[in-house]
Amino acid sequence: MNGPIRRLFYATAALFAALLGMLAYQQVVNAGSLADNPYNTRKVYAQMTIDRGLILASDRTELAKNREENGLYYRVYPQGDIASQLLGYNDVKYGQTGLEHSQNDYLTGTADEVELASLFDTLSGKQQRGANVKLTLDPKVQRTALGDLENLGKRGAVVALDVHTGAVLAMASTPTYDLNNLEADWNQLNKDPNGPLVNRATQGLYTPGSSFKLVTTAAALESGAFTPDSKFNDEKGTLDVNGNVIHNWRDQPFGEHTFSEAFAQSINTTFAQVGLKLGQDKLVEYQQKFGLYDKPPLELPPDEIAVSGRYENGSLASPGASLDPVQVAWMAVGQENLQVTPLQMAMIAQAIGNGGVMMKPYVVDSIIDRDSNVIKQAAPGEWKRPIRPDTAQTMTDMMVKVVNEGTGFGARSNKVQIAGKTGTAEVGGHGPNAWFVGFAPAGDPKVAVAVVVEDADESGHDSSPIARDVLLAALGM
Amino acid sequence: MERRRELVSFLPVLLLTVVGFASVYAARSSQIGAGSMGYGLLFLGVFVAIHIILRLAAPHADPLLMPITGLLAAIGIMMIYRIDPALAAAQATWLLVGVGLFGAIIFFLRDYRKLDDYIYVLGLAGVLLLAITAVAGYDPNNSGVRLWLKIGGISMQPGEFSKILITIFLAGYLHSKRELLSTTSWRLAGLPMPPAKHLGPLLTVWGMSFGMLLLMNDLGPSLLLFGIFLAMVYVATNRLSYPGIGLVLMAGAGLFAYFTKAVVHLRVDIWLNPWTDIQGKGYQLAQSLFAIGDGGLFGTGLGKGYLLLASGRPLIPALQTDFIFSAIAEELGLVGASAVIVLFLLLCYRGFKIAILAEDGFSKLLAAGIAAGFGLQTFFILGGVMKLIPLTGITLPFVSYGGSSIVANFASLAMLILISNRTNSARAGAGRGAARPLAARSEGAA
Repeated sequence: MNGPIRRLFYATAALFAALLGMLAYQQVVNAGSLADNPYNTRKVYAQMTIDRGLILASDRTELAKNREENGLYYRVYPQGDIASQLLGYNDVKYGQTGLEHSQNDYLTGTADEVELASLFDTLSGKQQRGANVKLTLDPKVQRTALGDLENLGKRGAVVALDVHTGAVLAMASTPTYDLNNLEADWNQLNKDPNGPLVNRATQGLYTPGSSFKLVTTAAALESGAFTPDSKFNDEKGTLDVNGNVIHNWRDQPFGEHTFSEAFAQSINTTFAQVGLKLGQDKLVEYQQKFGLYDKPPLELPPDEIAVSGRYENGSLASPGASLDPVQVAWMAVGQENLQVTPLQMAMIAQAIGNGGVMMKPYVVDSIIDRDSNVIKQAAPGEWKRPIRPDTAQTMTDMMVKVVNEGTGFGARSNKVQIAGKTGTAEVGGHGPNAWFVGFAPAGDPKVAVAVVVEDADESGHDSSPIARDVLLAALGM
Repeated sequence: MERRRELVSFLPVLLLTVVGFASVYAARSSQIGAGSMGYGLLFLGVFVAIHIILRLAAPHADPLLMPITGLLAAIGIMMIYRIDPALAAAQATWLLVGVGLFGAIIFFLRDYRKLDDYIYVLGLAGVLLLAITAVAGYDPNNSGVRLWLKIGGISMQPGEFSKILITIFLAGYLHSKRELLSTTSWRLAGLPMPPAKHLGPLLTVWGMSFGMLLLMNDLGPSLLLFGIFLAMVYVATNRLSYPGIGLVLMAGAGLFAYFTKAVVHLRVDIWLNPWTDIQGKGYQLAQSLFAIGDGGLFGTGLGKGYLLLASGRPLIPALQTDFIFSAIAEELGLVGASAVIVLFLLLCYRGFKIAILAEDGFSKLLAAGIAAGFGLQTFFILGGVMKLIPLTGITLPFVSYGGSSIVANFASLAMLILISNRTNSARAGAGRGAARPLAARSEGAA
């Protein structure tokens, strides 16, 4: 029996050699890719030994701070669910998202600028401390935005921007969740069909509907072919394009009217004609001038910012893809698979309010070390110049008319003149998406806003009052 | 002579244990109290006791078995202590029970060859244990595997014990039938086959392996049992065709299980790609690989790896049992973890060597079966946690947390000790022609 026993030992040795080989592969060859796996939370854990910087609102309200226990630092969010998707989480088990992810180098003190300052701390054996990140977010405006959405009890998003700088004053997304209970609620949050973890303000892709007439109007005015007083006639409430029918809202006929009235009453048939006259190239040119097909340079992780534009089968279509006339007509009224983010629409309002200059949106105001030295201060910068100042002025006047005489009456306020454009985008299966995109004061624009409410009331007026409240809060009224 | 070598080999083991416990304590002194260091001391006492037991009752037993298993158990309890000092207390208690059983077997089963007369009783007991578990067993952690039995408030895994009983049965049965099994009375697809009636008990063991798989959803122990069976049949008959046929049968049953048993299907799918459902089904294996990868060449150091969540719960489910090697690989690195694998290979080597040196067929088969069992069990679980093969839930002998496992493995070890003591005593006796007064006395007393 000794022969087979000996061979059995050789077989065992061969199996063990395979074990040693695999172990060496996993620990040496494959170790790097295992360490880089986003679900490997070891790096975050290592960072838990660092006194992570605070995240502060514009008025220094603490949005994120730490609780220390046994030399490990645990994140605490004193404001709970106020801006959860924007702040993001920083969790040992589930990794990092939002600003906690994108600002991680500052918050941990590993960014070059901070490291120099904390080098002495490290050398002198002091605890490594991250820098504080101060945001442009205004808690008052943020609470108004979130509160209004939550009172409505619907999914939606609000983005408010400073018209002159592009600073984010509010960025709310509902439903939201309490960052302090992430681990306990994780399974439920992931299963929730309403997607509370998604930042709808930057990741939510919505059909813009009539709010997109802002872009079509800009193209029309700058083409020279149309003025606010251009005459149109709409007798049927529908328009036939190569055998396909473009409808007005509830097929309502408007008779004789001007371009400005068509904008205020959101007449689809007229915008379809305008779109056909301008042609696809002109429409797409202005869409790109307003930042579609380009990722807004906000300081969030790139995968948390969606690009607006025309989508085909779930992915961004080439802007040059050739469309037939019906598609061009629908594109002019904001349908035809156009998908935009609330951030993108707020930026369009900001550009119009800012005399045609679109600023880079930003939410990080400054990086401040623990000795209160400002290490880095945000400098507002121009992103694009979609339209001329005179076009912006003309459009502002037209947008005032929307609020005072047209579909945007729900945003009217006796405290300030608001300018804007509504949108009621039909989506399959449930109620429409209701939009309001605008700014105030109309005479001297300071704050721009975009509001979208999903599964909105059929009249489509869920979003206008929210926009008004947010604008008033931002203007301190 | 053997005992002096054993004592000398024990010294580095004791030193490593002391250093290990001290470094865990140094790294985690904020979380654990100094009093828990006592488990380390208790552990030392246990192995001093074993040495004394062997000096008294099995003076010629293999001198390296105990230092090897002692070091493995030391690494195990050290890691368990590092994961949760309270678990180390329980493990230390089970270690005492295991050593108690070990001592009892050494003292009272000195003439282990008498077991040959009771193999059918023992085999039946092994089968019954499994059958009872299959029917009345329960699944405390909802793993989908029913392999626990509760007797008088104590939970145990009878599979660990029936493994030994069935190994003894196979040693006896194959020893008495090996001539018959080696004859050719008919051919199956050209392969020589022994008379059909002698195949009965063997087919029973084969059927039992799959019964375990199908009734208890239990992949690891059934594969292990079948592997031991094939190894022993091969040793008894020296015919590769038997394990060959066995492997074909196994592959067939494996395929059947893959398509009919959700648990098996899942394990294979996770093995092929743990990354697709990394937060769900693939979580455990993915985290195990992260831990192993983090160890690198030299490891993070004892107590410094990222094994526990903020709540104190292990990051990897079943860390202290099936996945203890992942913890070792993270904190001791390729160097330390390879040393553990080499220790297991040495253990198998000593086991097979004892089998080769043994003078009778029963002893040879028993020793080879136990050694093959240690080797296969180690291969199944280590291969599983490092994604070499699909994961089969099974413990790492002597290292993993778990009473049944520790106690049963000490019982297997005691059998190896007795076999080697018998062989070496006979040789020493033949060589010196002298009586062995101490052994003779205790034999007389027994």
